Amino acid sequence: MNPGIALGIIAAVVVGTIALGLFGVRGVRMDPHEYIVGGRRIGALLLWLLLAGEIYTTFTFLGAAGWAYGRGAPSYYILCYGTVAFILSYFFAPPLHRLARERGFLTGPDFFADRYGSRVLATIVALLGFVMLVPYATLQLTGVQILLRVAGYGAIDPLAAVGIAFALIAVFTYASGLRGAAWASVAKDGLVLIGVIFAGIVLPIHFFGSPAGAFDAVLRDHPGWLTIAGPSAPSGITWVISTTILTGFGFFMWPQSMAAIYSARDEDTLRRNAVFLPFYQLMLLLVFFAGFTALEIVPGLKGTEADQSFLLVVQKTYPSWVLGIVAAAGVLAGLVPASVQLLAAASIVAKNVFGDNGVASDGGAQTRLTRILVLVVALLAFGFWALAKTTLVGLLLIAYNGITQLFPGVMLGLRAQRPPALAVGAGIVAGILVLIAFAVIGTGQIAGINTGLIALAVNVVVLALVTALAPRRAAQPETANA
Amino acid sequence: MRGRTVAVVCAAIPALALTFGVALANRLEPRVLGLPFVLAWIVLWVLLTPAFMLVAYRSERA
Repeated sequence: MNPGIALGIIAAVVVGTIALGLFGVRGVRMDPHEYIVGGRRIGALLLWLLLAGEIYTTFTFLGAAGWAYGRGAPSYYILCYGTVAFILSYFFAPPLHRLARERGFLTGPDFFADRYGSRVLATIVALLGFVMLVPYATLQLTGVQILLRVAGYGAIDPLAAVGIAFALIAVFTYASGLRGAAWASVAKDGLVLIGVIFAGIVLPIHFFGSPAGAFDAVLRDHPGWLTIAGPSAPSGITWVISTTILTGFGFFMWPQSMAAIYSARDEDTLRRNAVFLPFYQLMLLLVFFAGFTALEIVPGLKGTEADQSFLLVVQKTYPSWVLGIVAAAGVLAGLVPASVQLLAAASIVAKNVFGDNGVASDGGAQTRLTRILVLVVALLAFGFWALAKTTLVGLLLIAYNGITQLFPGVMLGLRAQRPPALAVGAGIVAGILVLIAFAVIGTGQIAGINTGLIALAVNVVVLALVTALAPRRAAQPETANA
Repeated sequence: MRGRTVAVVCAAIPALALTFGVALANRLEPRVLGLPFVLAWIVLWVLLTPAFMLVAYRSERA
């Protein structure tokens, strides 16, 4: 047990990754176009890493294992929703990219501004994205804090450590923009792959003789843990299906995911990515193995403690340097996606809330404002992190419920015949109000259905009603609001 | 438009298997390589999805 070794490895890995990211952008001149969408020249391999960045976040690394540990079979939804999202993206990502290139979109809300001819709608969408990105970035911070606490064997102050790590990543994002983050993803995904293989294959073999060996032990001690409960049960099969659909719809609605779609070199790159990305999901199976192993080896963790599950097993069983490598993988899985999220949150506010409404609207001022906002969002997420106490999956689901409200607007906006901006905006606002009402009551599911999906249904109904009642207009010609 | 129809069908099959199909597969037995049947079902369909999507992709190229 030597906290110096484990923490030293983490520090070296974080600094090395930042250096790689900065190396990737050397000599690139930063205008908003380059800073936010990598000059729209990001090829198949880097794009793969950007799009898949969502999968290998600290949520996957710790949260999925924590859920397997704390909840059992409902966690299987995590394996399904990304795959469903990739299938959907095969159809909508290429036309979205084409529109973005033809009409020069930089941010997610740009799509709404252009397709619905409404800056107000774009501002609402930007603010929603911003608000929902704060819990998402907070999720990464929570993960990093857990990793540093376990890797430090309790010897360091996690608040200070997270502060330092997050300050580093904010400065990195400030300097490098999207292309640097994509380069940092290369290091992150490589190391996370090693960490996940270790946790999901080496650990279970060590204790149970085979990767799936933990299942027999889990079944003996927790009968029913490995199958999903009935339709009306809390977190039963209805919840699993409704949550898969909700999060599958929401997956690419994040501002950073839409920017990743814009940043592709061409439409075919996106199609081929959609075909093969599901293979990436299989890593999650190994994460489940790790979580179920932890359930047998370090039983009794409650609530948010479950997120530490397999790390505690590594800490108990292996020397400091092994813990250091596994934890470093996890720290990168938190910090690199956090940098993409900071950039997305900052760019939508800089562009769609300030720039398009006449504040700091020229290129140089935009890049400067985006960079400053990166630091502001980092501070906000840090503040939210210091206050909020929920599990990683809990945080993720809060954020997903909100962002998925953009799905109807994005799908309908791809069409030639589009509903009026008022209808799309009313739908989004109605969906968010329903979510707030459920949050006030404190319920996440009704008759087993994820309340986020109920909010989405209300959103669609309101959208349809307002469209039907709104004064008829001629179909907006494609050039109406250039 | 025929290519597009093939693509939609190819995409719908794994999408349905990974949502509503999970309800039909929600059993412990038979275990597959030690996995509970429902988890094995999900893993199988995640593996099959790229194959279906490749057919979709090819059908639109043709």
